[in-house]
Amino acid sequence: MDQFKYISPKTKEETLKILKEKRVNACIVAGCTNVLPDIKIKKISPKILVDITAIQELRGIDKKKDKICIGPLTTIAELINSELILKESKILIQAAEEFADPLVRNNATIGGNLVTASPAADMAVPLLTLDAFIKIESAREKREVKLKEFFLGPGKTVLQDDEMIVGIEFEPSDINKKGYFIKLGQRKAMAIAIASVAVNLEVKQNKISQIRVAAGSVAPIPIRLTGVEKFLANKAISNKLVEKAVNRVREEVEPISDIRASEEYRRYISGTLFKRAFNKLTN
Amino acid sequence: MKKLEIEFTINGKKRSLSVKPNDLLINIIRNDLFLTGSKYGCGIGECGACTVLLNGEPVLSCLTLAATVDGKEITTIEGLAKGGKLHPMQIAFLKNAAVQCGFCTPSMILTATALLKENPNPTEDEIRDYMRGNICRCTGYVQIVKAIEEYAHGEKTN
Ligand SMILES: Cc1cc2nc3c(=O)[nH]c(=O)nc-3n(C[C@H](O)[C@H](O)[C@H](O)COP(=O)(O)OP(=O)(O)OC[C@H]3O[C@@H](n4cnc5c(N)ncnc54)[C@H](O)[C@@H]3O)c2cc1C
Ligand code: FES
Ligand code: FES
Repeated sequence: MDQFKYISPKTKEETLKILKEKRVNACIVAGCTNVLPDIKIKKISPKILVDITAIQELRGIDKKKDKICIGPLTTIAELINSELILKESKILIQAAEEFADPLVRNNATIGGNLVTASPAADMAVPLLTLDAFIKIESAREKREVKLKEFFLGPGKTVLQDDEMIVGIEFEPSDINKKGYFIKLGQRKAMAIAIASVAVNLEVKQNKISQIRVAAGSVAPIPIRLTGVEKFLANKAISNKLVEKAVNRVREEVEPISDIRASEEYRRYISGTLFKRAFNKLTN
Repeated sequence: MKKLEIEFTINGKKRSLSVKPNDLLINIIRNDLFLTGSKYGCGIGECGACTVLLNGEPVLSCLTLAATVDGKEITTIEGLAKGGKLHPMQIAFLKNAAVQCGFCTPSMILTATALLKENPNPTEDEIRDYMRGNICRCTGYVQIVKAIEEYAHGEKTN
């Protein structure tokens, strides 16, 4: 494996200072489950690894005032075991249970999953329907970005060289409690999604008062299907409506063909996954 | 390259080592500490053969930098037997012929002990789900699941 320096800062401030000074030469690592394989295949060759796992304030899941706050170092295993997440956003637990295997989940972090910006990122899809936003810091400034504006392309995000994620937040609300996530892979364990769909829904008197739909592996980034959402808003639920929405999902996604599936199949199956998730939430 | 001094506990013993920043935990365990029960399979997190317990949790030592285990506690398969007596999970594997070539066995046994710590009474589906990242190329899964079930559901052999 390539050579690199290793530093393990104990505080956020120390980390931001290192990022400011070293810029492109420094690479943050958390669970290492993306970074180490990438170094091995020489996709990246960082000069310095900045291990942030010792920074306690970036861990943990809390309810603060009107926000659910997830530290970026929270592992996928910790999400699965969180009572608060189970109560406020069960959809995240569903996605976490589909994630890799228990061994990878003990190291892989939610922050690392988002920054990797894979079109298939399993945590990104449900966080999109939770309307999550990302708290970002550098030595220069603090800012907040909506998750749906965070991804720019495969492997690309709005993060600058000197910035890091310090929190992932969403509102505790009725719609966030009612969600459903489905991932289709070639097999159950260790499979990257062929397609995945998340739906969060609020129904009042058989009418859709609010709906959020997101999909993974069907576009260059994990996306919200806002066309479908607009189409469904304030409509009375019927089989006919669902069939129409399924067709709209198939039109709105922008998949490609790759080793896992063809474009046509992805288009078709994302509609079907949407229908399954929607029916789960309404039956 | 500048070496880093780390200190950790492995199978109950304190150890200090100097490691290179790019040393993987699996290589330190096998090449420096001569604990060759943990295996290097794929090296990219896919096979589970390199599983060790880190602070009691099963993790992949091929995706763990040695530098990151400073101050932590590691258990490898060599640490399960106590006073010359096999761990009951090891006995259950032997009794159920859950071992063929043996390459996956150390990792299977460690992951199985972690499963039972989290969930002492797992169903067959729960066992298969938890063990899903540990691959056995001799495909001895039926016996492996049987061994874990037998150990979990009381017929504890000593
Ligand atoms: C065998 C295997 C199976 C996998 N299965 C899945 C799967 O089913 N679903 C899935 O979505 N992914 C999967 N992955 C990919 C990977 O495990 C996840 O993306 C994981 O969440 C990455 O987190 P990490 O902490 O390991 O990231 P790292 O590898 O430590 O870092 C990843 C990237 O994030 C950056 N980073 C990390 N934290 C921060 C922060 N706080 N601020 C700024 N930048 C940061 C790093 O600089 C790096 O660029 C799998 C990987 C492996 C090896
Ligand atoms: S060698 Fe670590 S998972 Fe295969
Ligand atoms: S016994 Fe040979 S790989 Fe499992």
